[in-house]
Amino acid sequence: MSRIGRRAFLTRSAAVIGAGVGVAAAALQTSGADGNAEAATVSSAEQWRLSQQQLAEMTPCTGAHQAGILPPKPAQATFVALDSVAPDRKTLLQALEVLSQRARQLSAGGSIPLMESDAPPPDSGILGVVNAPDSLTVTIAFGASLFDNRYGLSGLRPRELTAMPAFPIDDLDPAQSHGDVLLQICANQRDTVVHTVRELLRTVRGALQLRWTIDGFGAAARGPSPHSNARNLFAFRDGTANPDVSDQALMNRLIWTGSEEPAWAVGGTYQVVRIIRMHVEFWDRVGLNEQQGMIGRVRSTGAPLGGATEFEDPRYDLDPRGNRIPLDAHIRLANPRTPATADQRILRRGYNYARGSDAAGQLDQGLVFVAFNRSPEQQFATVQRRLVDEPMIDYVSPVGGGYFFAPPAARNAGDWVGSGMQAALCGTAGTPYLKCHT
Amino acid sequence: MRPALVAAGAAIAVFFAIGALRGGGSEGATASANGGYEAAAPVPAAEYDEQAPHVFSHLWIFPVQGKQQVTPTLPPDHPVVPAARFAKPVAEYIAYSRTQLRSLTPPLRSLSDALAAGDRGAAERAWEAAWAGYLHLGAVYLEGPVSDLNAAIDGTPGGLPGGTSNPGFTGFHRIEFELWTGAPTRSLLPAVAALQRNITALVAVLPKASISPLDYATRAHEILEDAARDLLSGAAVPWSQQGVLGTAAGVVATREVLATLAPLLTTSIPGTELDHLQGVLNALASAHGGTLPSNRQLTQSQAEQLDAALGQALEALAQIPGALETATPSTIPTIPRGAVRIDP
Repeated sequence: MSRIGRRAFLTRSAAVIGAGVGVAAAALQTSGADGNAEAATVSSAEQWRLSQQQLAEMTPCTGAHQAGILPPKPAQATFVALDSVAPDRKTLLQALEVLSQRARQLSAGGSIPLMESDAPPPDSGILGVVNAPDSLTVTIAFGASLFDNRYGLSGLRPRELTAMPAFPIDDLDPAQSHGDVLLQICANQRDTVVHTVRELLRTVRGALQLRWTIDGFGAAARGPSPHSNARNLFAFRDGTANPDVSDQALMNRLIWTGSEEPAWAVGGTYQVVRIIRMHVEFWDRVGLNEQQGMIGRVRSTGAPLGGATEFEDPRYDLDPRGNRIPLDAHIRLANPRTPATADQRILRRGYNYARGSDAAGQLDQGLVFVAFNRSPEQQFATVQRRLVDEPMIDYVSPVGGGYFFAPPAARNAGDWVGSGMQAALCGTAGTPYLKCHT
Repeated sequence: MRPALVAAGAAIAVFFAIGALRGGGSEGATASANGGYEAAAPVPAAEYDEQAPHVFSHLWIFPVQGKQQVTPTLPPDHPVVPAARFAKPVAEYIAYSRTQLRSLTPPLRSLSDALAAGDRGAAERAWEAAWAGYLHLGAVYLEGPVSDLNAAIDGTPGGLPGGTSNPGFTGFHRIEFELWTGAPTRSLLPAVAALQRNITALVAVLPKASISPLDYATRAHEILEDAARDLLSGAAVPWSQQGVLGTAAGVVATREVLATLAPLLTTSIPGTELDHLQGVLNALASAHGGTLPSNRQLTQSQAEQLDAALGQALEALAQIPGALETATPSTIPTIPRGAVRIDP
């Protein structure tokens, strides 16, 4: 993301947090002005207020596109892939509708409903009697398999939606790849994400069945500046060269689908998810020069090699032979910054993961790579093919993920993500199910 | 701290509080502990400065300002080894590898015989002997025809469309897959014949392989990195689970590489750690009636002993490439001052 984009989000976030922050900021200011460190200590009452303000923060579900696609991203995420076991299209579409509506409810937050005490409570209640929004977003996307011949949806398949192909370095495990539906659930706190997964699965029991999940986390904002991108588990800053999400025209060019797609799919985006295991013990045994040469950046600052700050242009034009940044460095292959490759750029919004160890006692850590793009073939896959021989491949194993399509957002409180499919099938938007499916 | 930055506001003051540590102020230490709150502070974005302190190691904290080079320039820790001195070790390794490849003919013949006779157990033992013999070369990650032949000999199905059903999935692991999943034994004879042809072809092209000093020096730990990454996890041997056998073969290959490199090293070879790993492997064989167990036959305690010994050996072996550099770490050219452009 560019600086302008980050600024816009910082401003927004600061505005939402509001008064509670003023106190902390004033304390910090005191510290800065006179060096009095004690004044910089945020009191427990202020910390409490800040934490409550953060829980109260809501990501609005308005606009043409789904939330959870353009950064910023909250710290915690879970990706849930589901397969449809619905017996017919009507059941499937009903499940998608309740899924979407429950997700909207949870993202808005609110008191949990009560029922007679002899019935199982309608909300698991693990967040207490009030579900705080906590910046929760639920992004709903569909896999190519949803458009096979089970439900008569094949005519509606987004133009480029296929099962994710195996790239030469891949070691894809079917048990953590693909799926009919993908939920990307993001929030500030882990318990908010856990609660959301649990509640959403309840709403679609018997129709959408769990296929795989993976939990992700973002590195804390450790600076040096608020613009600085956080690090992945290879210790390098990730996301530095993302396109500027505040540039609407650029997003329309690179991210949001247009008239090339079936009408219901216009304004959506293709979501590529790759579970990339990083062999971190091996990586930690590699010399710093070699690590930096593989990535093309300085590990400490995130600057392109030869530069001093993170957001510098790598100036490949001045280094045609790769004396400064090797020709096979990751950043150079991924984004050569030529006019011909400008429209191949993708929007990355990945999360780190750490989930125990393998049978050889090696840590299972890595990256849930997430990319949004308008054309996976022209963008993600083209970049991926350029990366096929990069030296970094020895240190990573892509083991799962998939290609998905995130349709445009629900238009209003009564609408749901994917309703355009029903409208396309029935001719008119809002036709009742029974009329449409009998 | 530069006065202009102080004027810039609260957030910057916090960022630079870490820099104050270097000045020895205890206030700096306390303030840095609160550095995490700055993101919430509504400070004008335009005032932020990217040239903030960077921590390099647990020992030193450098404030980085302006165009100061960030990479610490420490004196080289080892004398430089002229690249030409690698010619002899590489030639020795290639000669060794060709001998190893030729020695695969008898076990491959045993494999064919057992398959023809329909003796699956004998075929599995012959496969193990031949495959371990191939791993005595260590990792074959060279470019060009050598790499292509290695993919045909020891490739795994992960990156192939259709996986195991892809006709490009050939060699040891194709045979492993078929053999351990109950394919009719005689149906595997053509695959064994093709494997033998590819091995013969590799003997012929190996002398033409170019192995750079860096590639050869990193081999000292990368052979066993493969064992930790692909073999003991079972990832590369999902059907036979013969990761322990492959690891033992990797130890043999590593010792060969180290022996050829010994004349170039001023430091001692990490023999203790490799001896310990070998001892653990020997003990495992003794505990399993003289044969190395499969990954799945390891008890938790045995697996922990093996993983620990391998990890310890790798930490020691990973020091070798740094001791065999052919040039002092070259200073990375700096982007000329006038050419610095910040992304929009």
